[in-house]
Amino acid sequence: MRVHSIFILLVFSIALFLPSSSSSSAPKDTFLGISPQDEKYYKSSSDSISCKDGSKKFSKSQLNDDFCDCPDGTDEPGTSACPAAKFYCKNAGHIPQSLFSSRVNDGICDCCDGSDEYNGKGKCPNTCWEDGKVARDKLVKKIATYKEGATLRKVEIEKAKLAIAKDTAKLTKLKNEEKILKGRVIELKELKEQIEKAEEKVRLQKEKEEKEKREAEEASKEKGKADEEGKVENGEVEEESSTENEPTEGKHDDIIGNVEDSSSNEAVKVEHSDAGLAAEVENDPSSKREGAPVSMVEEHVLENTASSTHTDVSSVATEIDHDDGSKISPDGDRKPESEASSEISDGLSREELGRIVASRWTGESTENQGGKKDHADDSHEEMPKDTHDEQYDHYASDTNEGTGKYNYIDDELGEGYEEESYDDTTPYNYDEPDLSDTSWLEKIQQTFRNILETFNLFQTPVNISEAAGVRKEFDESSAKLSKLQSRISSLTKKLNHDFGPEKEFYAFYGHCFEIKQNKYVYKVCPYKEASQEEGYTTTRLGSWDKFEDSYRVMVFSNGDGCWNGPDRSMKVKLRCGLKNEITNVDEPSRCEYVASLSTPAVCVEDKLKELQHKLDMMNQEQPRGHDEL
Amino acid sequence: MKRIAFFFLLFLASQTVHSWKKDEFRACDQTPFCKRARFRKPGSCTLIATDVSISDGDLTAKLVPKAQQDHDQDPIKPLTLSVSVYQDGILRLKIDEDPSLDPPKKRFQVPDVILPEFESKKLWLQSASTEKLDGNIAGLSSVVYLSDGYEAVLRHDPFEVYVREKAGNRRVVSLNSHGLFDFEQLRVKKEDEDWEERFRGHTDTRPYGPQSISFDVSFYESDFVYGIPEHASSFALKPTRGPGVEESEPYRLFNLDVFEYVHDSPFGIYGSIPFMVSHGKSGKSSGFFWLNAAEMQIDVLAKGWDAEDGILMPIDQNRIDTFWMTEAGIVDTFFFIGPGPKDVVKQYMSVTGLPAMPQLFSTAYHQCRWNYRDEEDVENVDSKFDEHDIPYDVLWLDIEHTDGKRYFTWDKLLFPHPEEMQRKLAAKGRHMVTIVDPHIKRDDSFDLHKDASQRGYYVKDATGKDFDGWCWPGSSSYPDVLNPEIRSWWSEKFSYKNYVGSTPSLYIWNDMNEPSVFNGPEVTMPRDVLHLGGVEHRELHNAYGYYFHMATADGLVKRGDGKDRPFVLSRAFFAGSQRYGAVWTGDNSADWDHLRVSVPMILSLGLTGMSFSGADVGGFFGNPEPELLVRWYQLGAYYPFFRGHAHHDTKRREPWLFGERNTALMRDAIRIRYTLLPYFYTLFREANVTGVPVVRPLWMEFPSDEAAFSNDEAFMVGNSLLVQGIYETRAKHASVYLPGKESWYDLRTGTAYKGGKTHKLEVSEESIPAFQRAGTIVPRKDRFRRSSTQMMHDPFTLVIALNTFQEAEGELYLDDGKSFDFKQGAYIHRCEGR
Repeated sequence: MRVHSIFILLVFSIALFLPSSSSSSAPKDTFLGISPQDEKYYKSSSDSISCKDGSKKFSKSQLNDDFCDCPDGTDEPGTSACPAAKFYCKNAGHIPQSLFSSRVNDGICDCCDGSDEYNGKGKCPNTCWEDGKVARDKLVKKIATYKEGATLRKVEIEKAKLAIAKDTAKLTKLKNEEKILKGRVIELKELKEQIEKAEEKVRLQKEKEEKEKREAEEASKEKGKADEEGKVENGEVEEESSTENEPTEGKHDDIIGNVEDSSSNEAVKVEHSDAGLAAEVENDPSSKREGAPVSMVEEHVLENTASSTHTDVSSVATEIDHDDGSKISPDGDRKPESEASSEISDGLSREELGRIVASRWTGESTENQGGKKDHADDSHEEMPKDTHDEQYDHYASDTNEGTGKYNYIDDELGEGYEEESYDDTTPYNYDEPDLSDTSWLEKIQQTFRNILETFNLFQTPVNISEAAGVRKEFDESSAKLSKLQSRISSLTKKLNHDFGPEKEFYAFYGHCFEIKQNKYVYKVCPYKEASQEEGYTTTRLGSWDKFEDSYRVMVFSNGDGCWNGPDRSMKVKLRCGLKNEITNVDEPSRCEYVASLSTPAVCVEDKLKELQHKLDMMNQEQPRGHDEL
Repeated sequence: MKRIAFFFLLFLASQTVHSWKKDEFRACDQTPFCKRARFRKPGSCTLIATDVSISDGDLTAKLVPKAQQDHDQDPIKPLTLSVSVYQDGILRLKIDEDPSLDPPKKRFQVPDVILPEFESKKLWLQSASTEKLDGNIAGLSSVVYLSDGYEAVLRHDPFEVYVREKAGNRRVVSLNSHGLFDFEQLRVKKEDEDWEERFRGHTDTRPYGPQSISFDVSFYESDFVYGIPEHASSFALKPTRGPGVEESEPYRLFNLDVFEYVHDSPFGIYGSIPFMVSHGKSGKSSGFFWLNAAEMQIDVLAKGWDAEDGILMPIDQNRIDTFWMTEAGIVDTFFFIGPGPKDVVKQYMSVTGLPAMPQLFSTAYHQCRWNYRDEEDVENVDSKFDEHDIPYDVLWLDIEHTDGKRYFTWDKLLFPHPEEMQRKLAAKGRHMVTIVDPHIKRDDSFDLHKDASQRGYYVKDATGKDFDGWCWPGSSSYPDVLNPEIRSWWSEKFSYKNYVGSTPSLYIWNDMNEPSVFNGPEVTMPRDVLHLGGVEHRELHNAYGYYFHMATADGLVKRGDGKDRPFVLSRAFFAGSQRYGAVWTGDNSADWDHLRVSVPMILSLGLTGMSFSGADVGGFFGNPEPELLVRWYQLGAYYPFFRGHAHHDTKRREPWLFGERNTALMRDAIRIRYTLLPYFYTLFREANVTGVPVVRPLWMEFPSDEAAFSNDEAFMVGNSLLVQGIYETRAKHASVYLPGKESWYDLRTGTAYKGGKTHKLEVSEESIPAFQRAGTIVPRKDRFRRSSTQMMHDPFTLVIALNTFQEAEGELYLDDGKSFDFKQGAYIHRCEGR
């Protein structure tokens, strides 16, 4: 305890060093910096005032004496002594402000009335009325926008309500039709099956007659059958190989060539086992390009992903490991240094090497390396996407396996998403003629009746043309049914979307908003996706996710992946405006985009009232001696 | 299944992405001179000192082989040796080829590192006494005076140089005690010889052949050796050879731009200072500095490394042997006798110069990112600091602010109004820093390039053409800053007239000055590239960044008519860089290990003169989890150089982006630095006068406290504060060793802790362990402002912690914070006691 007591804090006045500053720091007005709501707190109490956090009490003479007594700053509202204190400036004619105490007497004019700088060091004239006028004008404009916007918003809401009602009605109707059509299809199916049964009967009869003849031939066919099976197997292999074979890695081609040419089934099997294939390429002394085995492995992985089991995956992983190992640590079988390690540099021009090394830091593809400004001499940039990607992958596998894989897999993922979103496109097809017109359904029913009337089930043999008619009818009806069902599902999906508390965002559905910024075109499609286009290249910035921040922000997430970074995402901030338009797109953090969309949908009445109130307040505070012209 | 495979690969991919490309850099056994040297056996040096005499105030001799060598070898010509003695206990030993014997080429001596005034401190030796070593027939030694109580000794056969304490004949530092000395003399190439060296497709023509030097240096009464930055490794240097060491590279000194360097490796990174300090139980320190800018490799030898060779050495359990190897240059070495750690540092600085006095603003918090994209971004970040009441002093612009990586230019779209932007910051007392790297874009429409190429100011390749390497702008050339004329030309480029868009509140950052060459061997310049006077790059490589830093700092001095202290941050450095500005530890990573290793790295830098240093807060590569970021701010607030920085692929990480609680924690951390600015500034002045670093190891303040010798988790800020980082996630406790006999007071709570023991402390998220030593006074300013500029007139708070005698002392230094007027006495320095 004794030890504790000798830990002393002393505050020395700095008059010693800088005579002018210390004594004048306490304000003349002891109540400086106190907000009107707080005045009572300070003025009504007796001589001693409590710190607001209850930790201490201080005397009135300690109020604004430029020495901090309360940890929460209660005793120094008008000085910079307590870091936690706030300084209130009235700013008559403008908006009152509550400043951090760090701004008091720091030589910078923060309050337009100049009250934060009173120690005589800086001259801060009162500019509130002038500044206030600008602010008021702005506010007036803003209010006008809100007013008009709110009206537009109401219209939109009404429209949305009608449209939704219409959609709902349509959905009910479609569902009814589905029910009817489903019934018809079932009946047609039964009919079709009966016809098929009858036909089968006839066929069996015929078969029986030919049976003897066939049995005689069977024995002689035995040997040929074996050959045929072999062929089938071989064919499969070929098919697989060719999907895997598209990239133009020379070495790889050769091997696949072997596979195809090989007449021995056994050889095909051995070579095709994943590990064996990769290993062979790797060990091939004539394999010049280090990238080849890597990209091979990648391809295998992709192939495997479709069908593979756990073990497949791990076997691929070990291959990759092996590949890495052999490249990174020459310790294993340390070849003569220059040969072993010069692989990377060999076959690369100095320039390529420079680009590649640079790309580690930048993560850019080497084509882009020379700085953004060099498009003219950088024709790669203009290339169609495919070529570009291929080159990128090619580069990546040549230098940095990690990057290569990452991108490759990413692309794969991207495709997956794209497929998904293509499925989703039907509901956006608004131009499709309205199929709720019932004539087609009637037509189907009519045809059906005709069929029932004309068809004689018990006639044998089956009338071939009539049977074909039934089949055709069945096919058409079930096609129509599935179309109908998909329409129902997409409409249901649509109606399940969150259109806002008052359905004010209904109008966004099926619309896209675009803005061109520098070389990019940004496209925001609410309830669908956001993307960035550059020439032929489209980068997905995210799929529709949700609203955030009480419907002030739209979130698109899980866009295309970024090298060494997160998946791309976009937030669209909604601002009150008279038109639906994107006003700005920004990428404050790499791959995290932020856009602003102005729209009447967020011109809310409450906010309008708030703004009006603020304006009234500002006008009230008009100081004497100023006349608004 | 598809999904599983995908994740699995993603995991693998991320593993490989974050890995140091070890095989792109030369290991010792891929470096012929190093491999050869490491194979040498103790006692293989047969050189003896002859013709020992005193001339020009030096002790001089010739080194010749004792026995006649084989006939088919080149005759070994005598080497010249000189021993000079300087004030304050410094011995300088030089060994070179004899210029009068017509060597094929003059070996390179690193110019402009030793202070000009150092020569005036030379003590002119009048005479040497000769003594006979007992038990050795040929054991003649020449002894000269070194300083009070110390002598320098040159043993003749075999040759050995050492410093000893007169009393008790105790050795301090010695060279060639193990006979490992080797000096490859330049010679004419024989017909069948191949001097070329190849590494990863790069060919080094090596026109002058082998010219390496190696020798052993021993430190006596030492438990540990320290220094020789820059390595990401422990502060006390671990043995790299000998019993108990499985396999290790030597500590490498070769300035390299290493992508994602690992946190524990003797591998060379951005800077090199061939200065080693030893310390032992006796509380004494000694030092050794080799002025040589070629690639160097240094082995710290584990005790017993030489056991099998049976060399007889004076029995001394506390000796540490080291082995120094370099590719080229000469022997120009300095022995520092200490005896205190601060004395060694001071002695080293009397050779290489004292750290520059920084501007006040530069000792505050810096906010950097690759990249703040445009003027709007800058304005936004700036205003967010105000919005969250977080002080900061400097906003930094990385390479993307330029027009196509042409330094001294601005991207016209992104930064159309650079002057206005700087003025807006300056109105709040804030400053800006832009990056200027040494690679100049080879673009004929770029004036700087045109000017440099017309004047022939670029470094030349082996064929004599301007060297063309790849860096950020693409094809680039590099000014030959070895040449003083070219340095002077370069420094003119910083005038307000030449650097269009610059204002007085703009300062400079030198990056990539190792130099980084993306398509060069080991990502740097080929060794056979040529500098002024036919000097090969191999001979000066480690000093290139130093000369560039020097030229830039001189440019800022000139810009301000000699009235404004420069601020230049450099990534590469060499002995003497402390005179020109700050350095940082380069591209670290956002992980706990890198947070941890930042402390030994900064301690090593401080010990070797680079007092003004720091690590990127948050870690450059990768995204720190909020907890790590907060811990990093809490530690970084005590780095001499305090800057947050991030790679452009990382998420934004300004202090307000991680929720209110974390914002408050980071604000508190930054504010601690601001309250302590008067203390820090006083410490910077101390460094400027005495060379004692701002951040120092515990043993520098407690030289006899053995428990502190290998502690590099904690550090001292000045002599009053002890700080220890929290280096792991969700830490609940920390063991903190508090040295000395006096108590320590927790900086935040005032709780007292006894000295001389390890305390297990509870740890909260609010702060890292930090203590004030009893008996000290720490000056603070407790009011927070937007930046240090507005704190000028704020009152001081003196925190007085009395010791057991009810006494305390402390210092406060004040000046205008920016000009050189302090050199004319425009400062106040108070030392308060009792």
